[in-house]
Amino acid sequence: MLEEIFLNGLIYSNLLALLSIGLSLTMLTSKVSNFAQGDFAVVGIYAAYTTSLLTRVTPYMLLPIAFLVGAAVAAGVYLLVFDKLRGKANLVTLMIVSIAIDIILRASTQIYADLLQSSLHVFGRGFIFNDIMYNVAGTRVSGVLIYSTVTTIFLLALLYVLLFKTKLGIAMRASIENPSLAETLGINVRKVFTISWGLSGGLAAVAGVFLPFRMPVNPDTGFAILLSIFAAATVGGMTSLAGSVLGAYILGFSETVFTFLLSSIGLSTAYRPALAFTAIILTLLVAPGGLSSLWNRKG
Amino acid sequence: MDLLLFLLDLGVLYSIYAILAISVEIEYGELGIPNFAKSAMYALGAYSVGALATRIGVWLMGVTWQGEFKNTSWVYATLVSSNISRNPLLGIIIFVIPLIVALPIAAFLGLIASYPALRLREDYLGITLIAFSELVRVFARNYEPLLGGTFGAGVPNFLAFLPVQLRSLAFFAIAIGLLLLIWALYYRLTTSPFGRVLRAIRDNQVAAQSLGRDIVKIRAIVLVIGSMLAAIAGVLYAFYVGSVNPDDFTVMKTFIVVLMVVIGGKGSPMGPLAGAGVYIALDRSITFLKQQVSLPIDINYFSYILFGVLLISVIMWRPEGLIPEKPPLTVSGSTLEVREEQGSS
Repeated sequence: MLEEIFLNGLIYSNLLALLSIGLSLTMLTSKVSNFAQGDFAVVGIYAAYTTSLLTRVTPYMLLPIAFLVGAAVAAGVYLLVFDKLRGKANLVTLMIVSIAIDIILRASTQIYADLLQSSLHVFGRGFIFNDIMYNVAGTRVSGVLIYSTVTTIFLLALLYVLLFKTKLGIAMRASIENPSLAETLGINVRKVFTISWGLSGGLAAVAGVFLPFRMPVNPDTGFAILLSIFAAATVGGMTSLAGSVLGAYILGFSETVFTFLLSSIGLSTAYRPALAFTAIILTLLVAPGGLSSLWNRKG
Repeated sequence: MDLLLFLLDLGVLYSIYAILAISVEIEYGELGIPNFAKSAMYALGAYSVGALATRIGVWLMGVTWQGEFKNTSWVYATLVSSNISRNPLLGIIIFVIPLIVALPIAAFLGLIASYPALRLREDYLGITLIAFSELVRVFARNYEPLLGGTFGAGVPNFLAFLPVQLRSLAFFAIAIGLLLLIWALYYRLTTSPFGRVLRAIRDNQVAAQSLGRDIVKIRAIVLVIGSMLAAIAGVLYAFYVGSVNPDDFTVMKTFIVVLMVVIGGKGSPMGPLAGAGVYIALDRSITFLKQQVSLPIDINYFSYILFGVLLISVIMWRPEGLIPEKPPLTVSGSTLEVREEQGSS
């Protein structure tokens, strides 16, 4: 039982880490609290699902496709909408616009699910992916555990290298610190922001692909996990990428334990969001800077 | 007769949405803080009707309730309705008590919602309030003794003592009357010195604070007013529809009301009235179209996309909305001239 909780927690935390780091990334660059972050994950799920149906390849092999589709959608959203509002709209307006994006993306996915159902005669909603089991040192281990952990570590390492070892990363961090100063130094802020949105959407889409291995998904799944994504980022300190990752693991594990406790005392697991909600409130009231304020006095 | 009923129906729905829009207008348009738990405050009014109206009726009639609430609330609601048809006083009590119960609770929740607003950035507050309203819905949905969960709760017709033909008309009169009263009060508020303070805080919080305005207190007052207005709308809605279902009060409802205020024009007194009108017109047209053409896809999804695109378009190309905010004229021109003369002499 304990082992089961640990494995569930780890898989869920991996997922949250990829999603919340993307949320922090777009928040740092374009100052948008993106309420459509969960929908990017759903875009990834449907991209992998459709390709998997057409090619009969396991969704694990289709992670790059999910990444590309998610990145394209997110970059498109930025260029079409948020870029035009840059410097013109305040935080609240940007947030309301991102809620509108969430509603548009969710309704579009619903329509897509209907079309998928009628054209390919497969389930458009409530489907799951079949997992592959591996034999590791005599015990059977589910593929999603291995793949999600390896992918998360790989992508986070890649993101670190990108941000701290490349010219693009320097440009990105400069645009975060001071967009107008970066612009006068010849950095194309628009391009940098588009890339950061693309990265955020891509990471979210990859995270999404792991979800149907654990539970049935539908177009509203993204909105359902949005609160946990925000909670992870908030616990981590909102403006810190490392904090977001740490927050994701703390929240992922505590939510799994909480859900287990709920079902063991006979309450509906529908109350699951209560934990993320409490985590946000407590963090904001007790230590608004989140975890990152522990090592970063400025935050 | 059909046309009249159609117009009365439209009028009631319009009043409910316009009251909601006014509540968002005071919070978001005037003070600049959207309350993203709007759907929860709206739900609160409806829930108090769903949970209390039938129970009070049954209790006053001296009948003992048998069976589980979720299975029997509809039966007892009909029983109470038939009793109201002989006893108008019962109908009035059943309408007033849920309102009296809902208002202080809404005020209290508004006060609580304003508390984190003191320390949080608007977006943090937004997600916290959205989460709160979802939790309220999840609780109402899963805790069956309160409202019957997904079964919903039956609501008696508090106007059952009137002849059938007059009921819609009476409800229309009550809804429009409440809307006019609330709008008049809101208009007085927005043109008063207090209204100017709200906009001053919205436009420059630090400046307003430096002039001695107590931002903490003002935020609390505004969120309390806004939440109470939403609860009134919820009470009306529950009585009008005749049932309460927790799944009516999703975050989408909050979004729709914010959409109305943005379309109508933030900060302008006519804005919420215009915005609610535009929304009702769009929504009804879509419903009408749905009956005319048959598509393989649920047309509701298209309407969601349409509303989303509409909101973004308004914010991008006409951020001031249909009726832009005008500089307030609380002192008439002639008074100003007199003052200037006095000043120069």
